[in-house]
Amino acid sequence: MTRGDLRTASATRARPLRARGASGRGVRNLGVLLVVGWFLLPVAPLALWAFANDWAFPSALPSEWGWDGLIGSVRQGALPALGHSLALSLLVSAIATPLGAMAARALTFGAVPWPRAVGLALLAPIALPPFAAVMGLNVILLRAHVPPEMGLVLVLVVMAIPYTTFTMRVAYAAHDIRYEEEARTLGASRRNVLWRVHVPLVAPALARAAFLAFLVGWSDYVVTLIVGGGEVVTLPLVTASIAAGIGNDATVAVLSLSAIVPPLILLALAGRTGAGPRTDGRTAVRYQAFDYQADRDPGEQK
Amino acid sequence: MLPSRLKPTTAVARRNRCALLVLPAVVLAVFVVGGGIGAATLQSLGLMPLVGPVRLSLDAYTGQAGELIHALGLSLAIAAAATVIAAVVGVGTALFIVGGRWGARLVAITSAATVTIPHLIGAAAVGLLLADSGVLARVLGVPPDLWPSIVGGPWWVAVIAEYAWKESAFIGLVVAGTLLTRTARFDESAAMLGAGRWNRFRFVTLPLAVPALVISSMIAFVYTLGSYEVAWLLGRTYPEPLAVMALRLFTSVTLTARPEAAAVAVLTTAVSFVIVGLCFWALRKTAVWR
Repeated sequence: MTRGDLRTASATRARPLRARGASGRGVRNLGVLLVVGWFLLPVAPLALWAFANDWAFPSALPSEWGWDGLIGSVRQGALPALGHSLALSLLVSAIATPLGAMAARALTFGAVPWPRAVGLALLAPIALPPFAAVMGLNVILLRAHVPPEMGLVLVLVVMAIPYTTFTMRVAYAAHDIRYEEEARTLGASRRNVLWRVHVPLVAPALARAAFLAFLVGWSDYVVTLIVGGGEVVTLPLVTASIAAGIGNDATVAVLSLSAIVPPLILLALAGRTGAGPRTDGRTAVRYQAFDYQADRDPGEQK
Repeated sequence: MLPSRLKPTTAVARRNRCALLVLPAVVLAVFVVGGGIGAATLQSLGLMPLVGPVRLSLDAYTGQAGELIHALGLSLAIAAAATVIAAVVGVGTALFIVGGRWGARLVAITSAATVTIPHLIGAAAVGLLLADSGVLARVLGVPPDLWPSIVGGPWWVAVIAEYAWKESAFIGLVVAGTLLTRTARFDESAAMLGAGRWNRFRFVTLPLAVPALVISSMIAFVYTLGSYEVAWLLGRTYPEPLAVMALRLFTSVTLTARPEAAAVAVLTTAVSFVIVGLCFWALRKTAVWR
């Protein structure tokens, strides 16, 4: 699903078989344009409105360009909201990623008691509507005097756990534990094996899991609204309050763009780290790539 | 004597270490899922009132049975429409990503970018695009009174469009991820054996994509069913889908509304879990699983 995966697969793709006539290519190009247009169309108005000081109705383009939207969104508290969103999402990611990785590792390699039940419990949050979870929980959290910020992080971490666990289970399924055993045999301590063999080998998957967990925090609206109880004002909350009113379209557009850009930057960064060899894990990654090739054939003939 | 770190690990020690590794995630998940469902159920039955005596009753369900069924029907219809569109567009997206050539990268990048956009932001953007004085109406030059009521209209078009848009990107990436790791060789073999483009899609690609397609569509459906913000921002005030009804009751000043809000939450959760259960049961029955 990430660029890393795409890359591996594009290497194995059978190019000659895709040769086709000019008409097929034309249909294909049209399809690609339609799909790309489908994904980009809703974002297009944001780019126009964000820099429109004035846009009288019938005209197809803004009648006056400017920074009113930017000024308006700063006045509505966009900067602290951006900070809250970032802090919340990073915190959720920092907790949910190791929890998911630990659980996935134990489920893949270990003898976990009741593995089916444990696996289901970790996937269950996907089926639980967030609003339903927090309506019940809110009462418990309030009676237990849990601070809203803590309750919010707790719920979002649980909402992220299915994604981190699943991503890491896929990674550990392809992970060769013999490298770690080899390192242990050669005398490396547990800590050294963890940081110099294990983590570098699963680093791309960890980045993927961390990104998904980040998105859970970044995208949330209803949990922050109810459990946060007005204490934590994130970008979606500010945007919702302005978008529900009338006549602040430029401000809504700037707020929306400021919620769209940060994950895209992270996505680009994750793609880069996933693609290039790093100084620390270089050997491990190369070995894994080698091993992946060696393991492919018996697996695929089943 | 061996130093402690080289002692052979016994089965029991290994089992305990594994239990310790899964414990934090499991405890948190069980607390939030179990606690959330449990507390909502108790509240809906009048056993956990904010004020007043504890009294077991089904009033929260029976008193608003008509509204509950209406809201459930609406929520299911919105989720079904959005998921069907998302699945069709998603499969197309996946095919373009897997097919290689110049478009693959562009489609992969735009769909990945779409997945990262929060639903609330997507709803705000769709509102700016499709409202009766929105950007599309301006570009097409349609006056507001002739523009169909897409936002806040009777057919929930804007709401369905937003969910279909976001979830099609999700489904597309999940299906493409599966196809990329699995199809290349089967596709080659089929082509060597003389299968045409349509037959390779029908008998090779599609069967391989079905488990990923079913699971990702199920996640999209259940997500849409229990999601609040898009229907709240782009929908109309009556009739309401489940989540909007629940939040209105939850934030209402009348204290009797709390059990009713909890009843909506319990109903939505039950329906979600039943749908997920049915999906996995169906997948297990078909041979394509694993």
